Order: sequence, then C-alpha cells, then structure tokens
Amino acid sequence: MRRFFRFILLSALSAPLLWAGTTPPAKPTPTPAAVTAQSFVRIIATNQNYEFLRPWIKRPPYSRRGLGAVLRDGRILITAELVLRNTYVELERIGTGEKCPAEVEVIDYQANLALLKPTREDFLKTRIPLEIDSGARVGDRADIVQLESNGSLALTPATLSTITVTNYPIDELGLLIFRLSSPLQQRDGSFVLPAMRNGRLLGLVMRYDARSQTADLIPPEVITHFLKDATTGNYAGFPRAGISYANLRDPQLRRYLGLKEGGGVFVDGVSPGSPAAKAGLQSGDVILSAKGQAIDSDGNYEHPQYGRLPFSHLMTTESASGEVIPFQIWRNGQSQILQVTAEPRNPAQMKVPSILFDKPPKYLISGGLVFQELTRPYLTEWGADWRNTAPQRLVYYDTYQDELPKDRSRIVFLSRVLPSPSVLGYEPLEHLVIQKVNGKSVNSLEEVAEALKQPVQGFHRIETEEDPGVIYLDPKAAEAEAESVRKQYGIPALQNF
Amino acid sequence: MQRLWIIAGLATLSFPLFGMTTPGEIAASVVRIEAATQDPNYRIPWSPGRMSGGVGAGFIIDGQRVMTNAHVVSNARFLTVSKQGDPKPYPARVQHVAHDCDLAILQVDDPVFFQGSRPLSFGGIPAIESTVSVFGFPIGGDRLSVTRGIVSRVDFQPYSHSGMDSHLTIQIDAAINPGNSGGPVMQDGKVVGVAFQGYSGEVAQNVGYMIPTPVVRRFLADVKDGTYDHYMDLALSYFPLFNPAARQALGLSDDQNGVWVGDVYGGGSSSGIVQRGDVLLKIDGNPIASDGSVELDEDTVEMAEIVERKLKGDKVELEILRDGKKIEVTVPLNEKWPFGLQANAYDVQPRFLTFGGLIFQPVDKNFMNEHNPSNLRLRYLFDHFITDHLYRQRPEIITLSGILPDPINSYASDFIYSIVDKINDRKIQKLEDVEKAFAEPAEFYVIHLLGEGRPIVLERQEVERARERIRQRYGVTRESNLNS
Repeated sequence: MRRFFRFILLSALSAPLLWAGTTPPAKPTPTPAAVTAQSFVRIIATNQNYEFLRPWIKRPPYSRRGLGAVLRDGRILITAELVLRNTYVELERIGTGEKCPAEVEVIDYQANLALLKPTREDFLKTRIPLEIDSGARVGDRADIVQLESNGSLALTPATLSTITVTNYPIDELGLLIFRLSSPLQQRDGSFVLPAMRNGRLLGLVMRYDARSQTADLIPPEVITHFLKDATTGNYAGFPRAGISYANLRDPQLRRYLGLKEGGGVFVDGVSPGSPAAKAGLQSGDVILSAKGQAIDSDGNYEHPQYGRLPFSHLMTTESASGEVIPFQIWRNGQSQILQVTAEPRNPAQMKVPSILFDKPPKYLISGGLVFQELTRPYLTEWGADWRNTAPQRLVYYDTYQDELPKDRSRIVFLSRVLPSPSVLGYEPLEHLVIQKVNGKSVNSLEEVAEALKQPVQGFHRIETEEDPGVIYLDPKAAEAEAESVRKQYGIPALQNF
Repeated sequence: MQRLWIIAGLATLSFPLFGMTTPGEIAASVVRIEAATQDPNYRIPWSPGRMSGGVGAGFIIDGQRVMTNAHVVSNARFLTVSKQGDPKPYPARVQHVAHDCDLAILQVDDPVFFQGSRPLSFGGIPAIESTVSVFGFPIGGDRLSVTRGIVSRVDFQPYSHSGMDSHLTIQIDAAINPGNSGGPVMQDGKVVGVAFQGYSGEVAQNVGYMIPTPVVRRFLADVKDGTYDHYMDLALSYFPLFNPAARQALGLSDDQNGVWVGDVYGGGSSSGIVQRGDVLLKIDGNPIASDGSVELDEDTVEMAEIVERKLKGDKVELEILRDGKKIEVTVPLNEKWPFGLQANAYDVQPRFLTFGGLIFQPVDKNFMNEHNPSNLRLRYLFDHFITDHLYRQRPEIITLSGILPDPINSYASDFIYSIVDKINDRKIQKLEDVEKAFAEPAEFYVIHLLGEGRPIVLERQEVERARERIRQRYGVTRESNLNS
C-alpha cells in the first residue's frame, strides 16, 4: 500500500508578487503566469476532537493551514479534512495579512470538500474568482500552487499521470481522483494545495506521497458535483448504490451462472436500506450494465474521456440524488432491468456510524457505568491499526454491520466503569455489548435511559452479550451518588444525546 | 524450538548434605535427554514436518521410570537418555505424556541404565523464602549445572506448553534457562518441583517456575491405570460477587460468599447441571468466597484447585443458590475442557483435505500459530468460539487455508482464510463434511463462504483433469488426512 503524507509547514507572509489576468485559454499546454495570489486565501482552521473513550472531554485544539481557492459568489473551496471538527476558522488575505473569521457553509466528508463563507461581505471584494477546469486528459500539465515564505506564489509543475476511482480519506467512499506526478517541496505550511491548469482550478491536492512524488487531486467532476448540489441550499451529497461486487473473470463461475457473453460483475453484498436494496437487487445478481453503459467483468465501463473507470463513478459523480438509473441484471438465467433511485448514504442511518464530526459523541452515565453507542470514531481511538488493536467484538460489529439483524439499529455498549460505591466490583468491565436493560432490548442510548426508568424488582438488570451476562445496579444508590460521580470525575453532564 | 533444562552436579562443589541424599546421589539420578523431533507443518499439511532437536533434563523415579517435561519429548521421533559418568546414550520411549500439565514419563528398556542410581522421591510444597536447588543442563556448558534459589511465591499460573491450562506453580528466583526443563528442584534430598518455564530476560530477571508436587502427584495417580485421562474441568465461567446491589438482587447476605456463574459450556462436565445465573456457594463443603477462593489446608486457593486435584470419574458437590433457593448438586467429573482446539497440540499430524488445488483445514491453535491470519472473521470465530457458543453451529471451523495454483483455481485466491459455510447444499460443520460433499456426484461444486456473496465454483470435470497435474507439480504425497 502506498503511504500518503500531508504536509504542514509554516511560512511568513508578505506582499503578493504575481498578478495576471484570468482568461483561461482551453489549450492542452499550461499558460504561464495565468495564476495569481488574488485567487487564493490562506485558511487557518482550529479544530478540536473529542476523546471518545471519555466522550465528555475535548482534546487540546490544534490548527491547520491551507490555501483555499476563491470561487464566485464569495465562497472559498477547501478540503473537508482541513476543517474537520473545527471550532474556529479564520481567513487571511495573502500579502496584507488581513484576517476575517469564516463559517463552514457546506461540508461533505465523503467527497472531502467544504465551502467557506467569510463573515465580512467585503473581505473577498478584491479577489479574483477561479473557474473550474474541464477537459483534462492523462499527460496534461498542471501547476500546484504553494506559498513561498515571503508570501509569493510558488508554482510546481505537475503531470496528470492517472485518472482512477479510489477511496477518499474520511469516509472511504470511492470517487474519481486525478493523480499528478510532481516534485513538490515542503515549502509552505499548507494542508490543502490548489492545482491549476490553463489558469483554471483543476482541483485540490488532498494527499501527497513524497516517496513516489505523486499527489492525489480532487478533480473537477467531483468539485462540480459538490458545487451544483451546494447551490441548491439543501445539500444531498454523492449517491451510492450500496452494493459490493466481485469480478466475473472465472470461466467456471460464468458457466455455472449460464452467462454466455463477456462482461458483468457478481453482486456479493447489498447494504440493507440502500438504493440497490430498495430497487430489489440481491446478492448473487450479475450487473451487466448501468445507466446504459456496458460493464466488463472487472466492473469497469468505458468513459468517453478517461477510458476504463469503475462503474461506481456512474452512480456517485455522474448522477444526482433522486435520479433514476436503470441497472440491467442477470438473475436465474434471465436478463432484467431494475430502476435504482440514486440516493446518498446517510451516515446517521448506519448501524455503526462512520462519521459524526459535527456532533459531540453521545453517552449516558448511570452509577459509574458509562454507556455509549458504537461509532467508527470510537474504534479509531486505537490508532491507525485499530482493526487489529481495538476490542475485537466491536471491530467485528463495525465491519459486518450489514449482517446484523434487521431490528438491531445501534450497538449500545458499556464502554467503561468509573469506580464508585454503587459499581463496586464492576471496575474491570469494559467494551461490553448490551442486549437488554430491565428486560427491554436496547438499540439506542435513549432506549437505555427509558428502560432505566423502570427497574425490575427494585434493581436495574443490565444484560451483556458476553460474560458476566448480567450486571445489577441499585437505582437508588446510583441516583444518590450521581452528583458526586459527576463532580469527582469532572463530567459536565451525566448524559449527552 | 524446544528449550530444555538439565542439571548435573559436580562432586567437588561444596554442598550441604540433603538429608539422606548427597549431591552426588542426586546427580546420579539426573538424566540428560536428547530428543530428535519433527514438527508438523500446517502450511504443507501432507509433509512429515521439519526436523529439529533439543536437550532437556529428567530424573529417575520409582519403577525404573524417568520423569521430565512434556515439552522436552513433544513431537519426538527418537529419544536418548544419558547419565553423568556413563557416556552411553540409551534409547528411551514416552510412556505417558500430559500436555496439559507439561509432564511426561519415559521408559528405558535397558535396565543397565538404572544401575548406580536411586529413584528420587517427592516432598511437599516448600516454604516461602526457603532455599531450593535446581538441577539441569542449561545453556552455557555441557555438564550438569546446579543453581540455588529462594521460593518466591506459590500461585496459579498459565502453563505455556499447552497455552491454555493454568495450574499451581511455584516461582523461584534461581535462574531457570533453556536446558533446565524437566530437571528436579530439590530441597532436603527430596524433589519439590520440576523446573519447566521461565521468563525471557528482557521481561523479568530471576524468575523461574517449577511444577509443584501436587501437580506431579496428580499426574502419577492419573496414569496409574495405564492411561492419562487429562485434567477434568467444570467448564463454566464464574465471576466475583462483590457488588452490594448484585448480592441483594440475588438474595445473598453480606457474608461475602458465592460467585456468579456467567456461562456453562456445552459438552462440559457441568452442562445440564449448573445454569447460567446460578450462584456457587460451596464446593465439596468448602465455602466459596466472593472472589472465587476457598480455604484449603489453611491456605487460600482458587476454587478450581479443588477440581484440579481430582481424577476422571470423581465427583464434585456444589451448593448452589438458584432463584433464591439453596440446592445441592453433584457434578460427575467425566469431561475435560471441551474445546481442545484452543490449545497447542502435539504429537498429531494436521488434518486437511485438498480438492482442485484448494486446501481445506480446520482452524485450531496450531493452525493459527502457523498461519497467523489477519482475516477478521476467522479470528473472531476462533477467539469467540466458546464465549459466543459458536461450537453449537459448527463443531469445527473449516477454512480455505491455501491454494496450489492451477488454471482451475486461479480465481479463488481472494478467498484464502474464508470460512467454508456450505458446499452445494451440504452445511460444513466439520472436515468430514467437506469430504462427503466432494464425494457426491455433481456437475458443479459450489463452495459458499461465510460472509462472501460470491461462491467458488469448481467443475467436476476440470477438477478430475487437473488432479494428477496438481499432485505432481506440488508433490502432494497425500490428498487428505481426516484422522484426529
């Protein structure tokens, strides 16, 4: 696997040095001096994470800098990663150092894009907005924009080497990227770097691998889809079908399925509640074409400009939410058409939500028992190797959440025990998945809170999936000591939904 | 690698006399054991395995027998024993081996070997802070070595040989090193333990462990009838009952007695007798404290120690609080811990089956040690096999453990370490089911893997055509081993 590095450097500001017009000739060769500092703004984002193992605590704030691209309508385009869990975002005019707070107007974690809006209307007045590029092909030249320490722009030439679909960093959605090869130097303190082609914005560099000198760029198609959706005022996001598939190269499998002609992929999983599931797609179906494009046995179709691309691109970037997309499938030896209505995945509806950056984590404390709902950010507290180091049962539930029974929504678990008199003897218990509280199945913390209102025969009876099986708690003792637990452990509130 | 520990005493050393037995006499009863071993290969399961060897210690006990550690003689193909002053190596055979408590008894057919040696006899549990001497052949030289140490503690500890069992163990501060294994630990002329494991110097210093005589005596008693029956087990999990609310809810007084039964495992001794949620109050009349300990011989020990000392066919009397009522039950100890697949296994050949170049194996500890698969589903099933009662659905977890590449299976490589759920319509619950499924005539063999929507499809015709080709190319000397 390739490893990507993000560069974060510091630089001083001074006056902008480059200035040029903005007319973009649509030619394959880059136009020199078509790029100006007037089209960019420095972003200083202060972000703060929660400690998911102690969800009432916020970690120390940290800041990231980036170079945002000024667009029309007084908006600034950056990557979502730059303002992940932000508490304060500030804009800085290159050259003068003049500052202005900004708001995150739209953010899409999956597409890793965000739009900023300055709080002062006139802050971008003298800036020159950028147009989004189109028509780039493999082999084209581009320039990656950085700032010198004196505040002047530094342009590093880059060549567009690959166009493909790959997982984006935050929510692992596969979307189109442009891979540029470029000898970037660490000369600027920036988390986001715009790339320019013919004086237009080609995209935003979201990661750079210093060893192979390749930069992954969010390309115009993804940016355009994002901006189009953002202007509607009700941002929907990138639709996905909600299937996983396997290649159909194996001739034995093809003969078994009775497939005569080439092409098609084997559906090996359909997410419950996804557009594909709603349209009736099933595991075991073969997808022959989507949106009128034939799919080969590796799952690629022929894109008119970029060549072979995974067909998921048709669904995510080439479709808008609400669009109806015909899927031609092969089932039981017969071909049929299913209409799939494009719809983005709502992470809030996942059984184990993958992101909840804009919300503080939920928790509930009762007599020193700390309950939480399982989320991906909780698991990633174990670090980059969390799949191997986090509690195995919880990782298993995250990985195979589509296999959970239908009536199981969220996974409620006892994350830890804060030692106190009412939970004496329970101190070693942690990461225990809860099945029932006082005889009621619980699928959310709200349900736990509700169930805790009705003790059974004078006691709370909390049933765990694993040993010890049952935890008893004295409701009166728990309530009596609630305030002292809260004070002793410095918890602002005993619950947060 | 096997690391063995041995002891040899030099007459010139100035030793105190150990009662009736002099250092010279002890030395004459200490045995150096050389083992030629062959360890099975779980990646090439038809291969006889890799050759290796090791040196360990042992000592002569009554009945012209040699006692040593199980790990000294595990997977041995040929064993020799020799003594100080007699350079001749004598061939030896394993008479009994107990992998769960790391002890073995060897037989030496030539009676000449025992001439000039007296069998060593066993003592009790040495007092904390008393001095003991460790005899063996540790690394650092060839001749017998003796080190002295202080008894540091007596405790229940894991035995690393099986990787799953815990028994009473004595910790001493004498350096116990590879080559000491199986050697006697002496006090007052009696054997008070068998040296068997230590800690790596990187982790701890001067920590050595020996198997105390209650464990040794139990082993000797178990094999008296000619076979080793294994430790018996209640096969249940229990938890301390410290919490006042839990005690009240269960109707317990404040006397701090009783432990909560979390789970009772199918196929074990207590299955059908004890239930989840029971509170164990007494075991064989001894009150069980709320931390699971009992007072035994004026000492506080884990309640498991009572079961530890019993043999197959013995009984355990339990007083149980169930639904607020006290009842008494008898648990006949007829079963060992039912999930042997989680222990290191020795002296067995891997079970497997190949078909169309696909290798199928049951998942057990040996398999996991060798393959160390990162596949989450496989690891989850193995690790939660007991706690999630997965054994009820499938007594064995069968995985696609490897592929011998051939045109007929070139698209199966994505599925290594997937778990075989079904082949055609046959549910796969043990390795024999795989054999049966492939024995049934069919045009296509459709192998369904757990959690994988896409099956592996093999055409019978193609498999038959490829069979000889694969055998030849990869030197497959055996296509299956179903014997356990």
